[in-house]
Amino acid sequence: MAALRRRGRIFRGTACVGAIALQLAIGVVAFCQGKPSEFDVKAAYLLNFGKFMRNGNMATATSSFDVCVVGDDRIEAALSGMVGGQSIDNRPVRIVRVKDGTQARNCGIAYVSDSEGVRIDKDLEELSGADVLTVGDGSTFLAQGGMIQFLLLSNHVRFAVNLEAVRKTHLVLSSELLRVAYSIAGNPATGAAP
Amino acid sequence: MSFWNPKSISGKLTRMNVLVSGIALVLAYVSFLVYDLYSLRQNLINSLNTEAAIVGENSVTALTFDDPQAAENTLAALRRSPHIISAAIMQPDGRVFAQYRREKAYLPLDVSKLRDKETNNYWYEGENLFFQHPIVLDGRLLGAVVLEAETTDVASRARQFGLISACILFLSFLAAILATLSTRRLITGPLSQLAGTAQVVSRDQNYSVRAEMPRSSDEIAFLVESFNRMLEQIEQRDVALEESRSALERRVKERTAELSAANKELEAFSYSVAHDLRGPLQQITNIGFLLRSRLVGMDNRDDSRLLDKIFEGSTRMSQLIDDLLNLSRATSTPLQPRAVNLTEMAEKIVSELQAGEPERHVEISLQKNAKVFADEGLMSLVLENLLRNAWKYTSKREDAKIEFGFRTESAGTVYFVCDNGVGFSPQYTDLLFRPFQRLHSQSEFPGTGVGLATVQRIIARHGGKIWAHAEIDKGAEFAFTVPYGEPGTKPSAGSGEGHRQVD
Repeated sequence: MAALRRRGRIFRGTACVGAIALQLAIGVVAFCQGKPSEFDVKAAYLLNFGKFMRNGNMATATSSFDVCVVGDDRIEAALSGMVGGQSIDNRPVRIVRVKDGTQARNCGIAYVSDSEGVRIDKDLEELSGADVLTVGDGSTFLAQGGMIQFLLLSNHVRFAVNLEAVRKTHLVLSSELLRVAYSIAGNPATGAAP
Repeated sequence: MSFWNPKSISGKLTRMNVLVSGIALVLAYVSFLVYDLYSLRQNLINSLNTEAAIVGENSVTALTFDDPQAAENTLAALRRSPHIISAAIMQPDGRVFAQYRREKAYLPLDVSKLRDKETNNYWYEGENLFFQHPIVLDGRLLGAVVLEAETTDVASRARQFGLISACILFLSFLAAILATLSTRRLITGPLSQLAGTAQVVSRDQNYSVRAEMPRSSDEIAFLVESFNRMLEQIEQRDVALEESRSALERRVKERTAELSAANKELEAFSYSVAHDLRGPLQQITNIGFLLRSRLVGMDNRDDSRLLDKIFEGSTRMSQLIDDLLNLSRATSTPLQPRAVNLTEMAEKIVSELQAGEPERHVEISLQKNAKVFADEGLMSLVLENLLRNAWKYTSKREDAKIEFGFRTESAGTVYFVCDNGVGFSPQYTDLLFRPFQRLHSQSEFPGTGVGLATVQRIIARHGGKIWAHAEIDKGAEFAFTVPYGEPGTKPSAGSGEGHRQVD
């Protein structure tokens, strides 16, 4: 019992360290008391999407897994802060700032910021046919042809998936990822295998 | 018979059977139980491990994308697992991310007891088993699955085992008793039968009994058979011994009869010889007297001396015949025991002796009240012989002493006659009591050599003993015992006097 109690104390002592670990995982510079910002969470999600997708077309494989940011640079800062040493599919992750969709065609994931505004349609147009996971903030991002759209629900960052858009590429999203999606447009329905 | 300290072999066997089977059963119960509990627990841990791993795998995205609802859905699948009563997914900081309870009654999992989050862990709290499994993605710890399983089936398994073992123990006890019954029939029954027979044999010396042969043909049957054979041999030997003994007895009886017949004949013969010798001797003496009367007035000294020789010879002859007749009488006359005062008898004899040789001076001492229960005539012969001998062998002493008395020894009252005469050499003691054996020459001390033999026979007929001590020139002592009455002749109880010594 004494050992158990001691263990409990140690655990409580390490609780702060545990919190740091989680916050590292979701990409926040470690502050025990600080709650991660929306961008930190989104940046972490972006990196994690890479872990739950695969590219069916091996020919397009590049030497690095590039997470490209089109527009907003606030998320880029958050990404750069947490990417250190991470790899996806045994490829090192790089954060790349691009100007438009054309430049993003060799990326693994392309984040199209809401700040792109009217240029979103054009960016997505330029990316069509490329095996790039498109992620966006805009409330109509999926309708515009994007694949994953962040949602903010009661202070929680969630995401919705446009499976139809994903199907047009060689990309496959894992069922695990789909299981935690807030909603899924196109077949199959939520929770089913792709 | 106490169970722990039985006296019979069958009791010991029962105790052994019961103890052995009981110990074996308890050992088997314990080892089976331990093994079963161990494997049961191991199985439980294995299945918890699998379930935790599956739940962990399925909770990765829920944790990654912060979706507790999805995690709870995953945990809800544990409803199919019968032993898991609660489960939780923890975040690395120890916060509960999602949890599951089989029934509302169960308390939520106490997360304060989580162990090292990086590895699989399990521990017990009360009867419940906790299992912890880390959730890791790309080497990063996302959280942990904690399962709580109840182990009531382990306890119920132990109870079942105990019940079954108790039943088997009871059955084996019955089996041990049955085995003992058959043992009693096969082993201890014949053995105690054999023991009983042996007891009869040793107590009653009865070798004709036989132990009953058991039906089996094992060592006990062999033992019984050998025992019986031994009894048979002893019995045969007994019969042979009895036969030879009775044959021996018969032979002894025959021999004794022959011997006593021959003895009687011999005595009758010697009596008649002695008696018949008297006639011619009397004739010789008479003729001698006739011749002497013719010689009166004639001066014929030589003839007179020859006649004296004849008288002398015939006197000796007469003495010899008397002695022989006494000897014969001592042997054959029926005893007529009565109370006899030996002192008075001795006084009479001594006064006769002194009257015969008044010129001799002998110091005589006679102890009063020497009384025996015996044949008066024969006892008189004894005393006369002994005192006469003492008188005779002290004749060459100036200060002659003769003493008659008695003393009490362990053998009884011993009567003695002693003197300070010439005595004899102790080495000739054995010859003393044989007829016609003399230790002195006729010229020195005249005698027939029959007297002591007669004395010895008389004492022997009264059941007593006679012996002598002597040394040359220092005198002799003759001592004898006269037990009360002859064997077979009871002393007259009322007489009082005669066989009681009074000092």
